[in-house]
Amino acid sequence: MGDSIPQSDEGGAGRQIVLAEPQTVSGQAPNRQLSELPKDELANLAEGLGLDWTRYKTQQLLVSAVHERRQLIAGLDRQAMLDVVRWGRRPVTINAGKEQIAQEIARIRVMKFAGLSHRGLVALARLRGVEAAEDDPVPLLIRRLRKQEGFFSRLNRKRRAMLGGMVATIVGENSSATDYKYLPEPGNDANPAAGPAKPPSIRDEIEESGLFGGISNRLKKSADVYLNQKLDEIEARIDRKLDEIDRRLGEWRDKEIANRIKILKITLWASVIVGVVSLIYAYVTEYLMPPR
Amino acid sequence: MHLDFFNFFRWVLGTVVTIYATVVTWQSLYGWWVYFAGEGRYLSLMRRYVMVQGLRLRIKTFGGDVLVCILLLAVWVLLLRAHQLFAEIDSIYHGDGRQHSTIR
Repeated sequence: MGDSIPQSDEGGAGRQIVLAEPQTVSGQAPNRQLSELPKDELANLAEGLGLDWTRYKTQQLLVSAVHERRQLIAGLDRQAMLDVVRWGRRPVTINAGKEQIAQEIARIRVMKFAGLSHRGLVALARLRGVEAAEDDPVPLLIRRLRKQEGFFSRLNRKRRAMLGGMVATIVGENSSATDYKYLPEPGNDANPAAGPAKPPSIRDEIEESGLFGGISNRLKKSADVYLNQKLDEIEARIDRKLDEIDRRLGEWRDKEIANRIKILKITLWASVIVGVVSLIYAYVTEYLMPPR
Repeated sequence: MHLDFFNFFRWVLGTVVTIYATVVTWQSLYGWWVYFAGEGRYLSLMRRYVMVQGLRLRIKTFGGDVLVCILLLAVWVLLLRAHQLFAEIDSIYHGDGRQHSTIR
């Protein structure tokens, strides 16, 4: 088995996503196969891998770009990719290959890189098409990533952030910049620094996924948390019931054994009394009143 | 032939009750044996649960009663031996060919 990622959802404390060992990336000769794909399928594939298919004029160019992207993914460090997945809170199946992880990373549009490791940042930058070397410093990588985002994307993000801020104010989830930020998270008192990252606020979610996407994500998470709580309650109730049944069975067992021993004792007492009476009777009949 | 009703009643009662208790006990034990010898997930669970219940049993709870039972059994064995000795004495003292019931 491979790594285990602690899940940081509120209701599922202690649950972990277990990741499989890295799979060997097989040697690819995808050009011929990719070129045989219909155009829309190829476009979907490119989009899944984080490529903007509209930028490629001909199908041949798109095939070449997909092939290059696959080579890039094969050359990336799996652990670095997992760092990005953890940071971006994306679900990963137990036997996810590098390409699947890359597809998940392509869906991450967050531009706040706090909490992401250096190797993860390098992997993310490469997957977003930014030139990044292993020894590039973090501020430089972030600057390049921001530059790569583009004017309209940034504008849209800012607009979504503003909208998210408004929604957060309406629902009362807005955290002030003056709030004290050094208190440990609940349930992580022992080592606040090593715990999972703070769950994203509704503002962050709307900034990342848009108004409806953010709100639906939040609703889904709230529903998940509620369901987990209810399941835990049901589980606790079943445990209590089982304990009660076990206790009652124990009491019944003790009573039953005590009853059997009592019956045995009465039988033994009766046998002994009859034995004594019999002995006395025999003595009397044989010696005091012998038969003529 | 001289018939002692007390001894007759005692022997008949003892024989009937002993046979009845033996048959009923063996029937019950066989029934439980057949039940627990069955296959299946739930029966396996039952076997383990019964074993756990047996292991959880505290000797202290029933120790006094069990001790009384053991002592009563010892007294009963001694009485049985006393009866045997008495019968032997009886045959020595009355070895004149008289016909009468003894506790032999």
